[in-house]
Amino acid sequence: MSNELARLDPDWAWSPYEPGEQAPWNLSRAAHLFRRAGFGGRRGELQQALTRQPVEVVRQLLEATEPDSFRNEQDELAQAMVNTGQVRNLAAVWLHRMLATPHQLQEKFTLFWHGHFATSAAKVTDAQLMLAQNQLLRRHALGRFDELVQEISRDPAMLIYLDSATNRKSHPNENYAREVMELFCLGEGNYTEGDIRELARCFTGWQVKRRQFRFSAHQHDAGEKKIFGRTASFSGEQAVQWVLEQAAAPRLVVRKLVRFLVCDEQELPARLIDPLARQLRENDFHIGSIVQRILSSQLFFSSHAMAQKIRSPVELACGLLRALEGSTNTLRLAEQLAEVGQSLFFPPNVKGWDGGRAWINSATLLGRANLVHELLHSEKTRFAGGSLAALLQREQLDEPGELLQWLEEMWFAVSLPQSVRDGIMDQFGQDKRVGNEWATAMIHVVMSLPESQLA
Amino acid sequence: MSTSRRQFLTTAIGSTAVLAVGARPPQFLLNAAAAEPPTGNDSILVVVELSGGNDGLNTIVPYADDEYRKNRPQLGIGESSVLRIDDYCGFHPSLRGFAELLEKGELAIVQGVGYPNPNRSHFESMDIWHTCHQDKHQRAVGWLGRYLDAAYQNRGGGIPAMHFGSEKQPLALAAQRIRVPSLQSLDSLQLKGDQDELTAIGELTSAGRAVANPLLGFVQSSSTAALSASERVRSRLQKYEAESKYPESSLANKLQLVAQLIDAGMETRVFYVALDGFDTHSQQSDAHAGLLRQLGDAVQAFLRDVSAHDHGDRVLVTAFSEFGRRVQENASAGTDHGAAAPMFCAGSRVRAGLHGAHPSLTDLQEGDLKHHTDFRQVYATILEDWLAWKSRSILDGPYETLPLIKGQT
Repeated sequence: MSNELARLDPDWAWSPYEPGEQAPWNLSRAAHLFRRAGFGGRRGELQQALTRQPVEVVRQLLEATEPDSFRNEQDELAQAMVNTGQVRNLAAVWLHRMLATPHQLQEKFTLFWHGHFATSAAKVTDAQLMLAQNQLLRRHALGRFDELVQEISRDPAMLIYLDSATNRKSHPNENYAREVMELFCLGEGNYTEGDIRELARCFTGWQVKRRQFRFSAHQHDAGEKKIFGRTASFSGEQAVQWVLEQAAAPRLVVRKLVRFLVCDEQELPARLIDPLARQLRENDFHIGSIVQRILSSQLFFSSHAMAQKIRSPVELACGLLRALEGSTNTLRLAEQLAEVGQSLFFPPNVKGWDGGRAWINSATLLGRANLVHELLHSEKTRFAGGSLAALLQREQLDEPGELLQWLEEMWFAVSLPQSVRDGIMDQFGQDKRVGNEWATAMIHVVMSLPESQLA
Repeated sequence: MSTSRRQFLTTAIGSTAVLAVGARPPQFLLNAAAAEPPTGNDSILVVVELSGGNDGLNTIVPYADDEYRKNRPQLGIGESSVLRIDDYCGFHPSLRGFAELLEKGELAIVQGVGYPNPNRSHFESMDIWHTCHQDKHQRAVGWLGRYLDAAYQNRGGGIPAMHFGSEKQPLALAAQRIRVPSLQSLDSLQLKGDQDELTAIGELTSAGRAVANPLLGFVQSSSTAALSASERVRSRLQKYEAESKYPESSLANKLQLVAQLIDAGMETRVFYVALDGFDTHSQQSDAHAGLLRQLGDAVQAFLRDVSAHDHGDRVLVTAFSEFGRRVQENASAGTDHGAAAPMFCAGSRVRAGLHGAHPSLTDLQEGDLKHHTDFRQVYATILEDWLAWKSRSILDGPYETLPLIKGQT
């Protein structure tokens, strides 16, 4: 596999996807796009996508907007939750937004940046500041990376999380400077300990006062600093800019984007990364245009990408609910997601969630199956505003075979082996249970299979 | 082949789920079974964290020391009340459980444990115990997390360590690659659904597949292991009868769950539980007595239970606190944050008795007992002599081990 990737022609990989016999533009591929670019598609969206060119569909995903009324409603809801003082309530509002927003890509990237600039409420312990950071990430989700780094460097939640709030001239705190180099912008091996010490001096005097960023000139070290061989009396902003001018910066961002959108495990060779890194630099770090290029690419719709990721818990739960046009009690859902390893606003450490295989162990797999079971059986779950039976009727899914095919197209990134398909039909083909009981049981079983964990 | 691997194969392959697709064990199952860690034994470590700073002086009481009586006019425990260990010291009267373990030869008491330049903040000191680092910026992973990262590849998706409790997961378990689950009950280790659904999931998960996608292969073998674990937990819980009466306490409840999982043949090597409430700044007597009773009785019941189920030789319990307390009691009939204190190791394979001298009550450091044994020496002993793992890279330096485990020098 990795050998194949190493042999791929970068021109082919990143050129616009052209449907063909090997890679037809069908429901499975549309579902693949909507899984990666959002939290999964609804049947109608996928069918509509098939009537257009895939490149055009991607463009529309980027150009989507949230109506003002929707945005205001979500913000008010979030503020109401902040007033309860419980950060866990904030997670419920966010999940609600992931499920409901017409701008799926923006929300997906808000989650991406939450993992990249991971900040945990366990240390910040202030719902208002966590919400403010969440809004910051959403504002910049598909915008310019350099602006995002500048903003996040002044974000009170981040300042508290990485101890910059106590960064004084006499005692520079290196925590934030280290992560700017190691995790946020450059990656290990692209800086020295000396660079970190000097960068930390640039951030001295960046404080939090009454929940706001405040620059204290008195605590700021205005002297000369030497970073990456250049000596100047860098301010914090200038230093961030200088860090981003390093060649490693666009590469780190592109690698992370590719891992998020394309595949969990395969390290792409430099010759595949570099063209996008160049484009990112030339486009002033504009994230949206790189995301558009990746999502529209031959590589993205190839076997190197399809089923090459493990669903995160959020993707699993939101994907299920969106596929079945479901709504549920997201307060409870936030708890369940925490149990299987993804507690929104509480990433495990400054590296965020590792993703990939790290999502999976015996406890999380059982937890995932139980989460599916509970979502399907909860009194709080509604499908298309009503019962599962009504949804099935609307979709004209009267027979187990029809439902299985419907699910295969919508839900599975990889096709089920014939033996498994036969096994499901043996189990449910003769099911005489009334109403939608057979369907609930079948969806539970099917969504608990190993194939179901792949995105 | 180790017992747990044999058990795994027997249970997994003996289940109807696998027999349904043919008698020959499928390759992925053998792979999952082979994913056992490359460590030399199948010993189990149970860590009991005593949160808040346990008053070591009123735990192992130097009743014969005049200085003790002088410094503890209200809180001091007299010779007539202590459970005598030797002519100098004895257990707090509530620690009958520990006293009986010592009598049976199953309790090692390591005296005077601490670290240089002791920090008296709960948060800081607990982090130091968890990570072994006094430098704040090196505290991303814990000592057990580093062990898990080194000893386990996440190949079969097993659960090498578990934390029982609703508190925040202890930093000691934070690892780079392994995520340790925090559980509140065994419900989350059992698949929900009616019997038909469970059977279907089991059969369809283990049904043969030509898997070209390595991620799918990984998920499938992990799923098989998970279902097998669920099945084992379910069947053991139905049959499980505790071989000793556990007291009614939260610590006892958690340790009973641990005993059940050990008996269910889980591959888990490290279990972590906490008992909070040791921050006794005022009116210490009753609160401290209650906590010590809970500790001693629960550990005793747990060890009796695992021994009766033939796992006694595989289980070591260790208990620690982030610091001891000031020698001199305060004006509120309590004690303030201190430094050195005893640690405990319990199990049928410990070298029982007192290890190291009781710290001097006159040679103090800012009013606190001085340590003579670094806590990392106890960790090194647990790693080397119990878990059979080289401690140097885990603890970031060489620490001399202590003769706490039988059959080891």
